[in-house]
Amino acid sequence: MFSLLEESGFKKVKSAVVPNFRFRQQSTQNSAEAYGVKAVMMTATKPEGG
Amino acid sequence: MPNSADAQASLEAVLKQEIIRMYQEVAEDPTAEFHFYHGRQAAELFGYDPAWLDRAPEGAVSSFAGVGNPHERACLEAGETVLDLGSGAGLDAIIASWSVGPTGRVIGVDLNPTMCLKAQAHAAATGTAMECHEGRMEEIPLPDSSVDAVISNGVINLSFRKRRVIEEMFRVLKPGGRISITDIVSGKQLTQSIVNDPKLWAS
Repeated sequence: MFSLLEESGFKKVKSAVVPNFRFRQQSTQNSAEAYGVKAVMMTATKPEGG
Repeated sequence: MPNSADAQASLEAVLKQEIIRMYQEVAEDPTAEFHFYHGRQAAELFGYDPAWLDRAPEGAVSSFAGVGNPHERACLEAGETVLDLGSGAGLDAIIASWSVGPTGRVIGVDLNPTMCLKAQAHAAATGTAMECHEGRMEEIPLPDSSVDAVISNGVINLSFRKRRVIEEMFRVLKPGGRISITDIVSGKQLTQSIVNDPKLWAS
């Protein structure tokens, strides 16, 4: 999604992992980790001339 | 034999119904157990100010199904116009309305008209105004350059057309406007069996 934001014209794109996100069930959490699934916070700005 | 566009449209229609069903279930039966944390437990896990949660209507808090805290970096200011994309039962929109104050404006967009009504009722119960439009995030029902900030919490991952959603956020933002979103991303390509399963995708 980071690259989609940049490709769509957003600037100052920043992201960070949501530290406490996890699934309730351990089996779901294990599957999520196997796929690299994580929650992220993202901020970005539409340029003044955009 | 259906072409790929028809197949995707068909899958999207099924997915829309599954998303409506799942998140309405959270709103209608918040005591049920889902595979994701929800309600006050989830909000506290993500660092929501307990004072916000005490002040917001119980129904908005118990139905919360976000994946993080978009307010942490939104830096909303008095008088701003904010779009909450996928506003659900309204908790994030209500918190945003407190940030922008009476001179600001908070607009929710949600796929589910029932949730829109619920969110507006929750906002009204706190004495704040929030308008909610039924609509899809791929076709945001707002004019170009009309909002100062977009917040969103755990919904963009539900779309098959994420590029389109991001282009729509860009379109409705005023120049200099910003987004603060929290969402789920995957580091690997999901298998086709997951992509084709509306229950898994809606989760």
